[in-house]
Amino acid sequence: MSTRWYPIYQRGNPQLRVFLPNFWMKLVRPTEEQPPNVVTFAVSTEMTKHDVKNYLEKIYKVPVVEVRTRIALGDTKRDQTYGYITKNDDVKIAYVTMPKTEAFKFPDLFEKKAEQLEKDEKSMDDSKEGFRKFLERNKKRPGTPGWFSI
Amino acid sequence: MSSTLMKCLSLANTLRTATLRSLLTSQQKPTLAPWGAVVPALASHVQAVSGIHTSAASLGLMEFFDDPKVWSENEVKVGRAWKPDELRIKSNKELHQLWYILLKERNMLLTMEHECNDKMEVFPNPERIDKVKISMENLETVVRERNKAYHLLETGETGERPQRLVHNCFGLRYMYKSCEHVLPPFMNIKWIKSRNVGFGGRAVRKFLLQYREKLYNEKRKAKNRSRNEVMMILRRNPDFDLEVLRRQFPQVNIDKLRNEDKARGHYVPKIGV
Repeated sequence: MSTRWYPIYQRGNPQLRVFLPNFWMKLVRPTEEQPPNVVTFAVSTEMTKHDVKNYLEKIYKVPVVEVRTRIALGDTKRDQTYGYITKNDDVKIAYVTMPKTEAFKFPDLFEKKAEQLEKDEKSMDDSKEGFRKFLERNKKRPGTPGWFSI
Repeated sequence: MSSTLMKCLSLANTLRTATLRSLLTSQQKPTLAPWGAVVPALASHVQAVSGIHTSAASLGLMEFFDDPKVWSENEVKVGRAWKPDELRIKSNKELHQLWYILLKERNMLLTMEHECNDKMEVFPNPERIDKVKISMENLETVVRERNKAYHLLETGETGERPQRLVHNCFGLRYMYKSCEHVLPPFMNIKWIKSRNVGFGGRAVRKFLLQYREKLYNEKRKAKNRSRNEVMMILRRNPDFDLEVLRRQFPQVNIDKLRNEDKARGHYVPKIGV
């Protein structure tokens, strides 16, 4: 596509512009403890440090001081049955430093999960109980639809 | 319940009637119309609705996460993807804005998926990622159409990346996508060498022979299979509608097959009737 086909850049040419960037970026939980103003991202492997900085500043309006990147090797795994090896894709990890005044803490997304689960189980139990009652009522007249009696 | 339902319905109506332009240019934050539009009317209660995705500048890094209300939900209902026809009526500026909304949405979903996988939790409704992907593909198609039309009007060429059919070192044809080079072709020895792929040689000839045999066998077997199928149909159902057969198997000569021995059933043919 012509919007993905960039002309070769030579010195003195106008700066290349990306109109529809298709880079992806994931905010991931840091494996090691980091200062509060450092955020860890998993990004497209083809992104450079400048790309990461511009992406965050222009699209997300997040102030960026410094970006450091590394490429993490994807895990290799041997198949248990046939013995062939599969490998996950490599991914670029970007450590983004924000100004000292900023702070980011990765939120706990599943804080209320247990509560929710309990609620779901309760509603499931209720519906089970209802079905049991229905069966009890229809014991002597099998096949009768639920709306038949009051 | 009724008040929330009414609210949802009215929201759905406004979203359906209002164009993206009015939504984007108004003082509100940019919204993603079809994502919110279809959903609220459908899911009026209980279900978690990832309603209208807003992207405020103040959210900053929290834009990488879904709405905190749906963090612990097992199901997040959303609408469908953008269709090309809906995108064709948008202006370039609106498409540009929508692209960034979709980009943010995709980043958010990828972040949530990653975190869910890390914490051994189920990521609710993973088809949301596919919907965003389809929307982005459709948007690119529309932009490409416009680009082509513009180039054709201005220059008489499509403006697409030039391609041509070339043979590779195995003698197979493929589309070669041209690219720009710093050096002109006659000076670029490396490029000339890389393009100079002959495919003589005994090994390549043998490979091509067997490869073509394989292709031919596939074709031949498919032909035989359909021929046998027609004969079996005729054997089991002597009064089968021939027009239907002809339509179903356009490659098979049905009139010829009717006289075949294999197409005759296990019965004594009626003579003189």
